[in-house]
Amino acid sequence: MLSHLMIGQTLYFGDSLFYIVTFLLLMWIVKIFAWGPVTKMMQDRADKISNDIDSAEKSRTDAAGLVQQRQAALANSRSEAQTIVSDAKTNGQQQREQIVTQAQTDVQTMKQNAQKDIEQERQDALSNARDDVADLSIEIASKIIQRELKGDDQKALIDSYIEGLGKQHES
Amino acid sequence: MSDDPVSTFQFLGLTFSTANVVSGLVVFVLIVAVVFFTSRKLAMKPTKGQNFLEWLIDFTNGILKGSISAGDVGKFGLWGFTLFMFLFISNELGLFIQVATRGGAAIVRSPTSDPIATLTFSLMTMMVAQFAGVWKLGYKRHFTNYLKPFVFWLPISIFEEFTNFLTLGLRIFGVIFSGEMLLGVIWDLAVSHGIATMVVAIPIEMIWQGFSLFLGAIQAFVFVTLSSVYISQKLEVEE
Repeated sequence: MLSHLMIGQTLYFGDSLFYIVTFLLLMWIVKIFAWGPVTKMMQDRADKISNDIDSAEKSRTDAAGLVQQRQAALANSRSEAQTIVSDAKTNGQQQREQIVTQAQTDVQTMKQNAQKDIEQERQDALSNARDDVADLSIEIASKIIQRELKGDDQKALIDSYIEGLGKQHES
Repeated sequence: MSDDPVSTFQFLGLTFSTANVVSGLVVFVLIVAVVFFTSRKLAMKPTKGQNFLEWLIDFTNGILKGSISAGDVGKFGLWGFTLFMFLFISNELGLFIQVATRGGAAIVRSPTSDPIATLTFSLMTMMVAQFAGVWKLGYKRHFTNYLKPFVFWLPISIFEEFTNFLTLGLRIFGVIFSGEMLLGVIWDLAVSHGIATMVVAIPIEMIWQGFSLFLGAIQAFVFVTLSSVYISQKLEVEE
């Protein structure tokens, strides 16, 4: 049909059929041996790479989140520590004030007691001394009265008085 | 060359050219071997053979992506890959092996130096394009594309199908056939006057072989590129 158009070539239509069959067979074999497995592998690789990228992105955000958490925890613990320290400080302050007040009241009480004691003691001493003076006066008076009756024994009276006074002091 | 005898045989009432059948089988076996041995031990981290095969697949997919939209490339990937491999090996085969009978009838040569082979592939491309158009757009929209931009365009649209078919097949045939013919002519020159012409002709022959190698690769690339263009034209509704 077309053969007269070709320079020195003849067309053989069987060849056409042969090439079509060969080509289809070749396509089938290529698909089974190479195309299928290789494209699958390429697809798998592409998937894996995109997965890896995704998981890398995920772990990056995870790490960022962890860093944030850690920083928050750090800040938290720092403020907690500050609270603890300030609490301790106020506690100490309070305790100190308490102790000081306690001590002051104690001292006050002790001072008052001591003053009371001293007053008591003084009163006792005073009353003792008064008693002594009264006794002494009575004694002196009785001795003076005795001597006046005798008249001239004044010297002896004074001496004995003095002697008695000295004895009084010694006792 | 035009008066070279051709070896033929009859099978199922059809005439076959021995050269085409044998060369086609050689190409077939070569591709199966390449594809088989490069696809052993596939791994996530590719080794030599797998790297080569993946590079080839990426390459042919890249050709298709040039004109077909990304969503449809996957459907034509295998076809583009096999077509490119077949045409490339076919183009280069005749540059390395040329076997002829004692009478001068070729047995092994580039299958693509025969128009029946190239026109077969061209016809396959046209059929794939038609099929893809119907598959993508449905019968109605596919065939109304022939009436666009206006109804009187119909004869031109139909004529265009034939010219696409012929130019696609004959371009590659012309380049490969002429390349091989020139190789033969240079060889005839080489043996015509003994040593003197041999010394001159052999470097020319080598240069031409290298150039034909380049042309064969280019033609395989162009064939697949144009095929994908023709298919992509059928995949979209013309405005």
